[in-house]
Amino acid sequence: MTAELNRRELLKAQAAAVAAATAGIALPASAQPIPGGVGALEIKWSKAPCRFCGTGCGVMVGVKDGQVVASHGDTQAEVNRGLNCVKGYFLSKIMYGADRLTTPLMRKRNGVYDKDGEFEPVSWDEAFGLMAERAKKVLKEKGPTAIGMFGSGQWTIFEGYAATKLMRAGFRSNNLDPNARHCMASAAYAFMRTFGMDEPMGCYDDFEAADAFVLWGSNMAEMHPILWTRLADRRLGHEHVKVAVLSTFTHRSMDLADIPVVFKPGTDLAILNYIANHIITTGRVNEDFVNKHTVFMRGETDIGYGLRPEDPRETSAKGAANAANMEPMDFEAYKKLVSEYTLEKVAELSGVEKSFLEELAELYADPSRKVMSLWTMGFNQHVRGVWANQMVYNIHLLTGKISEPGNSPFSLTGQPSACGTAREVGTFAHRLPADLVVTNPEHRKHAEEIWKLPAGLLPDKPGFHAVEQDRMLKDGKLNFYWVQVNNNIQASPNSSNEAYPGYRNPDNFIVVSDAYPTVTAMSADIILPAAMWVEKEGAYGNAERRTHVWHQLVQAPGEARSDLWQLAEFSKRFTTDEVWPQEILDANPAYRGKTLFDVLYGNGNVDKFPRSEINPDYANNEATEFGFYIQKGLFEEYATFGRGHGHDLAPYDTYHEVRGLRWPVVDGKETRWRYREGLDPYVKPGEGVKFYGRPDGKAVILGVPYEPPAESPDDEFDIWLVTGRVLEHWHSGSMTLRVPELYKAFPGARCFMNADDARKRGINQGAEVRVISRRGEIRSRIETRGRNRMPSGVIFVPWFDASQLINKVTLDATDPISKQTDYKKCAVKIVPVA
Amino acid sequence: MPDQRRYHHISSAVVAVMPGRLAEVAEAIAGMGGPEIRAQENNRIVVVMEGDSAGELGAQLTALGALDGVVAANMVFEHIEELEGSAP
Repeated sequence: MTAELNRRELLKAQAAAVAAATAGIALPASAQPIPGGVGALEIKWSKAPCRFCGTGCGVMVGVKDGQVVASHGDTQAEVNRGLNCVKGYFLSKIMYGADRLTTPLMRKRNGVYDKDGEFEPVSWDEAFGLMAERAKKVLKEKGPTAIGMFGSGQWTIFEGYAATKLMRAGFRSNNLDPNARHCMASAAYAFMRTFGMDEPMGCYDDFEAADAFVLWGSNMAEMHPILWTRLADRRLGHEHVKVAVLSTFTHRSMDLADIPVVFKPGTDLAILNYIANHIITTGRVNEDFVNKHTVFMRGETDIGYGLRPEDPRETSAKGAANAANMEPMDFEAYKKLVSEYTLEKVAELSGVEKSFLEELAELYADPSRKVMSLWTMGFNQHVRGVWANQMVYNIHLLTGKISEPGNSPFSLTGQPSACGTAREVGTFAHRLPADLVVTNPEHRKHAEEIWKLPAGLLPDKPGFHAVEQDRMLKDGKLNFYWVQVNNNIQASPNSSNEAYPGYRNPDNFIVVSDAYPTVTAMSADIILPAAMWVEKEGAYGNAERRTHVWHQLVQAPGEARSDLWQLAEFSKRFTTDEVWPQEILDANPAYRGKTLFDVLYGNGNVDKFPRSEINPDYANNEATEFGFYIQKGLFEEYATFGRGHGHDLAPYDTYHEVRGLRWPVVDGKETRWRYREGLDPYVKPGEGVKFYGRPDGKAVILGVPYEPPAESPDDEFDIWLVTGRVLEHWHSGSMTLRVPELYKAFPGARCFMNADDARKRGINQGAEVRVISRRGEIRSRIETRGRNRMPSGVIFVPWFDASQLINKVTLDATDPISKQTDYKKCAVKIVPVA
Repeated sequence: MPDQRRYHHISSAVVAVMPGRLAEVAEAIAGMGGPEIRAQENNRIVVVMEGDSAGELGAQLTALGALDGVVAANMVFEHIEELEGSAP
């Protein structure tokens, strides 16, 4: 055996040994690991969270000669206990794609910037120079509301925090929104409206304590495989445990379903009210809990669909102007409201068999059964997404099944730091850090004090949300726009009509920071090459409130720089005199003549920690460039917002030592379940349960009806279109489509269709078709087999494929409260390509 | 950094199987021709995979996850070996 082959066999033995240990299996004697373990391979191992989804798995990353060469699931990480899903393979691959961007690019013609020119490499100095010139021109001519930024749930905590400071306090614009708006804005609004505080009360430990799991629209088997494994272990290891899976079509997660429920799009609202009705009529309301810990509110109805205001569906919606209104009601009135949702009526409306509906309702109604409800985009990307989220809280609150192990309404997230960054740091158009909002004068004052900025500096009007940003770009009202860490042209609904035109509008200047040439980057005027994942020090917050930090482990290629560096370095190009109002400077002359970098990041907080505090075993490019430990400074300043207010974070350095901690972290201890005495340090002895995010300490049970989707099939556009993901390709496919083997396994998006529906239209399996809506069309191929099995009347098209941009077809309808897009329900027709 | 060097990838995974279907799934895995079964017990199968690229292994794991009777196929360990003499 050659040395190379011998080494391979040893490595394979090692791989098997690690896997066997993780699975709790004894290995046969023939398979022995390398003496000395993987350490003998001269690899430096460091921890990091996976960068691909909101689960927040821990990964051990192996570096040799400046490159990531190995990874394994972190056995010390409670989330994944040594396992990684298929996405783990791309962690070592993602940084090394052949078309990685390594230098800034600017559209030029004849050597000068031209919006209609071709991309040419430029220096950072030239790129920032033109950006600053354009930003200043826009600020001068149109003011702060013409400047905007679109960020991401993949930003590190520091990056989101640096961005919110630069936009709100630097440029005085609230036109900052994350792509998380498309992902979980409905969840966040529902948390605020129900509990007065964002994010789940429970955590992943609920998987091992629940007696029933109800998946509302989520296909966890494909989208959250690690959590699915924990759920499956619980189900398969305990006979009494039941799983209900609700969806608009049959998918992989149904394999494990005791109660499989395929419902007509949008009728989940009616099912939720039926369950509430069932709980009430069968006398299973937990009256003690409801009386002590809840209040009933009636939501505004007929609230429209978040379309452009002139759309007839908006002008005719009586409640659209006050969509977020809630008025007090009592239990009797709520009981009357949900009494309409009888088994017969809801079975008819939803198309679900009565027996399945009854079994589902009994999971919640049975007081002896602990229930974990799980959901993601099915609820959130919904024109009544906030309602749907609140309606699932209703049934947990009516039965008191909340805030204790196993009783857990749990909102899953899609992106690694949708919680930690987008939500907690406050990168939404209306938010400030730690659940504060721009519309509250006290909150603004508090932020100005922590940030050491002049009183009255922060703007009070919420900025443009994601879909509105696209509309304002198209309409020429938003003119300087910077996109970081996301692929908006692919992700945006109704993109040909409402997104792309704004990027190419001659009045606008578009900057996109990315690691790869996505369709969004290619639609920009300047592309900035971004460092990613372990090419920088980072921090993420996952779906169970776990904050997790990692070190920089390798160098980014070429001129690529982190988004943090880009934000902070760009801020040096502006002085307060150029961007702040005269009256604020007159009242605060000490701030005159300073750069935005000085006042935002050199403010005595962010620059407080010297480079000597950085672990000398690791590089930190940003600290080297700026001369101080900027990540720690940003984190500690940000943490000031939440400490003592239910959102306590541990000292920054602690996070380098542990596998993440779930906030609030009080006296060094994380909190697994919030709002319950003995589990949450904020609930005082004798209080039992306290939803302390709201002044009255009570959670809201919301009375709202079923309302139909924005667009339903009719004679011409006769079938529902649902979009989503597939196992092989996640996000926008910007990574997975670069991998030939995965491309081969799933070469392009398919139009999943019911076989009878296809036959009726004279379409064969594999045939090319046009998927046409009132807004646009794409070509795809019909798939009547495969893992996704469609009911009659519904098609599913995944959105990863840039050559089949299904968002040309989707409708830009949003939840009127959360402004999150509904990608799950619009009407299309399918026409064979002759 | 994108480069011309050649690599060999070695990986392991744990396949979680529906109760009572261990033998059937093990047979299906053996029939795939790629993943090697190293251990099986308690509805769990430990497999080792190797190939020329991470993508090849990702595709194998995806195929494992999509097998009938499989609850989930999760990666545990991945190692990239630079082949000797492949540096430019």
